[in-house]
Amino acid sequence: MSRFMVSPPFFRRAVLPLVALFALSGCADKPPASNPEALRAYEETNDPLEPWNRSMHQLDQGLDTVLFNPTIAVYQTIIPEPGRQGVTNAFRNFRAPITFANDVFQGQGSRAGTTLGRFLINSTVGLFGLFDVAARMGMPYHSEDLGQTLAVWGVGEGPYLYVPILGPSGGRDLTGYAVDNMGIDAMAWIGRADNPFWWQVAYFGALATDTKSNAKPVLEELKESSVDYYAALRSAYRQNRAKEIRNGAPAPLPSFDDFDDEDGDGDPFSGLEPETTSAQTAARPQ
Amino acid sequence: MRVLALTLLLVLGGSQSHAADEPWRTDPTAFINYFAEAGIDGILTADIDDVEKAARFRTLFNDGFDIPAISRFVIGRTWRRTSDADKEAFIALFEDVIVYTWSRRFSEYTGQTIEVRGTSPDGDIGTLVDSVIVDEDGQTISAQWRLRQREEGLRIVDVIIEGVSMAITYRQDYASVIRQQGGMSGLLDLLGRQVVESAPS
Repeated sequence: MSRFMVSPPFFRRAVLPLVALFALSGCADKPPASNPEALRAYEETNDPLEPWNRSMHQLDQGLDTVLFNPTIAVYQTIIPEPGRQGVTNAFRNFRAPITFANDVFQGQGSRAGTTLGRFLINSTVGLFGLFDVAARMGMPYHSEDLGQTLAVWGVGEGPYLYVPILGPSGGRDLTGYAVDNMGIDAMAWIGRADNPFWWQVAYFGALATDTKSNAKPVLEELKESSVDYYAALRSAYRQNRAKEIRNGAPAPLPSFDDFDDEDGDGDPFSGLEPETTSAQTAARPQ
Repeated sequence: MRVLALTLLLVLGGSQSHAADEPWRTDPTAFINYFAEAGIDGILTADIDDVEKAARFRTLFNDGFDIPAISRFVIGRTWRRTSDADKEAFIALFEDVIVYTWSRRFSEYTGQTIEVRGTSPDGDIGTLVDSVIVDEDGQTISAQWRLRQREEGLRIVDVIIEGVSMAITYRQDYASVIRQQGGMSGLLDLLGRQVVESAPS
């Protein structure tokens, strides 16, 4: 485990200021019980560390600007699109044991079989995972992780956490991520052998570059279309995780307890009363 | 004034004439296919400039989406306390935000198509259309559409991409702004600024 220890100078320079910042920024104030509407909104958001998380989100955007965006620009320049897909495929293949273990933990035998089959085919015919041959043979990629397994086992998501470089997470998902990467991922086992600490820095650096390069267009779109990017990202992350946990089953209708069902038809998307939308109704061809 | 009246008459008359037996007005699968085709052939791959693309998208968005219903959902519990003037201002700004921010992405279109996979009841009151967006390499993104039958035909009230609902994401984004700004007027100010920034120049 010593490979995962950070050196004292790094600790003093990076971690201590973060702890100090955390202590200063503190927690969001929980609204009093006398204000049930605000209290309900607070619980729905489930982000008690919001001020801290917002500062981490800002720090992450700073890191993107000075570190990852220039790296991604160079990466995208020197490696054209088919090559970048190969890198993504290779990472997915290398990290397939994480998905396989969690398929098994969730009792998903057929999905575990798909993951194993993909790993065997793509590692050999697919040249160490560079080509996703298995997908063309009717075995599409899916991912599982311990955060999803814990959710299936009934563990709640825990408070929202924004982690620089890693991005949006939460108590449950971050715990899962740590166990997946320190206990199951092949690099953790390679790291326990005689390899320098820098191997792992290079591995996670490359993984982060690949992930961020793939996510960039979607995140830019979300940033442009939102007013409060932090809140929109928190919402999108949770919804996407919920879909992964459902293994892609259709999204249920948004729940009602926080919505005024004025006309009592059970639909959060009811049509509006004509008087409030007279301008729109008149403008629309019948 | 006469030109305006004449144009309105033509538009209304024109759309009424094909209203009768077009299956896409009531059949959810036909509806999504119709709008996908209109979007891809009429906007994304059409040989027109960006301003014209945004204009055509605005028309399509108004014809295909129930913007007032989405607006009410997006504002949530604050809607009831909002004045009629602010409601109308919001609906107009929200439409602009979507038209301008989505239009900016049109140039990234690389031949994706939409394949409807099936439909299911959405609660007791509508239809959920399940589809995938397929790119040229055969990679897929899941897209679901919540539809409601209105007097004038089917209308989309939500699009869910990879589990992320457009309506819920805007709702939580705006709820956070309303909370920080202490009301609707702060949100309207920020949306006004966003519209100015994202409008095609």
